[in-house]
Amino acid sequence: MAVYLITGATSDVGRALIERIMGPEDLVIAQGMGDLHLLDDLSSAHPGQIVSYDIDLTDPAALDGFLAEIGEKYPLPTHFVHLPALRVVNAKFKNFDESRFLLDMNVQVMSAVKICKALLPRMAKAKFGRVLFIQTSYTIGAPPKNTAAYVMAKSAIGGLVKSLAVEYARFGVTVNCVAPSMMETRFLTDTPDLVVQASAADNPMGRNARVKDVVPAMAFLLSEEARFITGVTLPVTGGSAIE
Amino acid sequence: MDKNQILDAVQNIFRDNFDDDTLVITPATSAQDIEDWDSLEQINLLTAMEKKFGIKFKLEDVRNLNNVGDILELIARLSA
Repeated sequence: MAVYLITGATSDVGRALIERIMGPEDLVIAQGMGDLHLLDDLSSAHPGQIVSYDIDLTDPAALDGFLAEIGEKYPLPTHFVHLPALRVVNAKFKNFDESRFLLDMNVQVMSAVKICKALLPRMAKAKFGRVLFIQTSYTIGAPPKNTAAYVMAKSAIGGLVKSLAVEYARFGVTVNCVAPSMMETRFLTDTPDLVVQASAADNPMGRNARVKDVVPAMAFLLSEEARFITGVTLPVTGGSAIE
Repeated sequence: MDKNQILDAVQNIFRDNFDDDTLVITPATSAQDIEDWDSLEQINLLTAMEKKFGIKFKLEDVRNLNNVGDILELIARLSA
């Protein structure tokens, strides 16, 4: 039996991942914010196997309460998948509100630090854990201009992944990332169509990434057989960014 | 909006995008004249113009733009 803690589970990727990995005995602890209804279909399809929590990850007290509650009510997660991110703002550096950098860091990075501190020492004792983050191809090579806050937070995730990977490798806990190129999801709502179309046209495969391209790569890194792979960022880019 | 008004508004978008309040553009201005005008900046310029003029460019419309004059014509056509 696997117990998945998935933050940002209401995203297109989160929902497709749940659909892909859910086994008959598994439990998913799903976090969203203000949009848990997006999990209704999955909950009906897997009765009793998905518990959902509406939590603001930038509120430390709410996050502590959430971690305490799931620590008491459910078995220790065997898998932790961290997906939350704010929509990309396309703005010149001089026009970025400084508070936006902090918000990106809090949503994506500081929440991950807190959750990892709660889970990883216990996963180490259990001698098993799979931890997975979603990065971006923007962190491979030169990033596009005008996305500083997003690239900064995603790069911090990369640093956290590498650090945790080496610290917990001895205990059967792997920590990895997937790094998709521009993926056509609800996440792109604030991105101009022209940017999305140009990205597709410039991709060597002639299109943007889709959720169904990325989720199998995630499922692999979460699998038992990926046991000797840790600290990596797996690009899922159609060749648009190559390490 | 007549052609001069469009040119003025486009010039303001160029000035803001390239951080240069003294930048003066004409229909003949092209990427050769502005050092930082690369393909990504062009997309940024065009998305700012979409917002300003309430229009939508298609990728095939904007792939063959050679200078500011081409952009002005396209805006005039789409906002007509």
